[in-house]
Amino acid sequence: MIEIKGLIVTFKDFKLEIPYLRIKDGEYFIVMGPSGVGKTVFLHTLAGFIKPNSGRILIDNLDITDTRPEERGFPIVPEEYCLFPNMTVYENIVFGLKFRGFKRDDLEKRIKDIINALEIDQILDRQPDTLSAGEKQRVAIARALAVNPRVILLDEPLRNLDPKLHGKARELLKRLHLKFKFTAIHVTHNIVEAIILGERIAYLEDGRLIGVFNPKDFLKTKYGKLYLEALKPIKEHLT
Amino acid sequence: MNKMNTEKFLILLYSVSSLAILLILLPIIALYLMGDPEIFYKILFQDPILSKESWSALFLTFEISILSTVTLLVIGIPVGYVLARFDFKGKSVLEAIIDIPLLTPHIIAGIMVISAFGRSGIINKVLMGQYFSVEDNVLGILLAMMFVSIPIMIDTIKVGFASIDRNLELVARSLGVSLHRVFLSITLPLSVKNIVAGCILSWARAVSEIGAILIVAYYPKTINVLIYEWYTTYGLKYAVTLSILLLSIFMVIFASIWVIYRR
Repeated sequence: MIEIKGLIVTFKDFKLEIPYLRIKDGEYFIVMGPSGVGKTVFLHTLAGFIKPNSGRILIDNLDITDTRPEERGFPIVPEEYCLFPNMTVYENIVFGLKFRGFKRDDLEKRIKDIINALEIDQILDRQPDTLSAGEKQRVAIARALAVNPRVILLDEPLRNLDPKLHGKARELLKRLHLKFKFTAIHVTHNIVEAIILGERIAYLEDGRLIGVFNPKDFLKTKYGKLYLEALKPIKEHLT
Repeated sequence: MNKMNTEKFLILLYSVSSLAILLILLPIIALYLMGDPEIFYKILFQDPILSKESWSALFLTFEISILSTVTLLVIGIPVGYVLARFDFKGKSVLEAIIDIPLLTPHIIAGIMVISAFGRSGIINKVLMGQYFSVEDNVLGILLAMMFVSIPIMIDTIKVGFASIDRNLELVARSLGVSLHRVFLSITLPLSVKNIVAGCILSWARAVSEIGAILIVAYYPKTINVLIYEWYTTYGLKYAVTLSILLLSIFMVIFASIWVIYRR
């Protein structure tokens, strides 16, 4: 379980405040809010890239606020996927394992499982710059899964996908979450993504955590209604 | 009307560009045209004194400039990385200090090196009587070369590191890989082009230095000091011959690197 207590992060001219937040083990947790409210700052603070000014981040009551990113083990899947351009797809996937003491057999079995689940066995020898957006996204997820993480941080991972791929990718994330049983902390401002994937939704506005809701309740809030309002013109236009 | 203006503008661009190319090519062509094969043969092979002097100056220049480049590479990689990746108080002051040699007249650079490391330099004063000097020795040439080329090495490497998406390093660290391993396996390999460019440019700068070296260490003579000496003693013909030799070596090296790079 991840607990965040009295977190204040100032980054450049921006301030993020999370008075209290609890994320359960294995939960698919969505962080929503308009652009520029601090969703990525929140994710980067969790990953250990940004040091908070005050507050604590606990995992199973263990304080990890000052723990380095590499010791935290919260792999991140960024919006642009950030595949290492000097490595093949396979080298990207096993990169996080190379420097760890994994047994070779365990490693190979796990990698095989991930490659099969993500259906990327045909592209393992390719360089990242030859991949489509959908392939890059799957490789980035595979790379994060490879280190057998308890938590995966997803920073708008579906943003660069066209609508057809978007739907497929949502299903894929759902399937992977069930299969590999990790805690997903997924930042998005896409309501469809949030409702379909999220077990709970945290809503941020102006750098503050407004509340945590289950998807149904979120749609009843004024924040959820705003997203539905935005879809209304399409419905009206078609009727 | 618009078409006419575009054409005139293009003609202006091409004319200015041609003038710039001419400005570079004309002295190079002139240098080669001035070369005398007989003198060339004499100073490189026939005359035992002149040929010994020119070959030893050439080898000395190359040896020390390579040593200067390797030393600066060892310094330039960590400094370039720190400047590209970390924000700290006084960073812009540090960057300005690193660029001072670029703006310093080379004679003054030589005076500065002597003031620090010469016989009456500050180091000797601090060491209170212990004798240490870089005047007229290989160490002096090395320090003079390093002083004038250090900004080129650091700045080129810094630009390389800064151009790499920082998120790549953050993602790698989030996978449990330590900062130094991320540096060695991602940042460094992706910066190779800039590191090589930094080495070539700072090496070329070191080889071409004369102002600071004339002040710090006239002896042992580097190739530029020798060219200058022959120009004042024997005249243009002798200086031209040695210049052709040095320039040709430069051009062969640059052309080879360019071909390798293009592949």
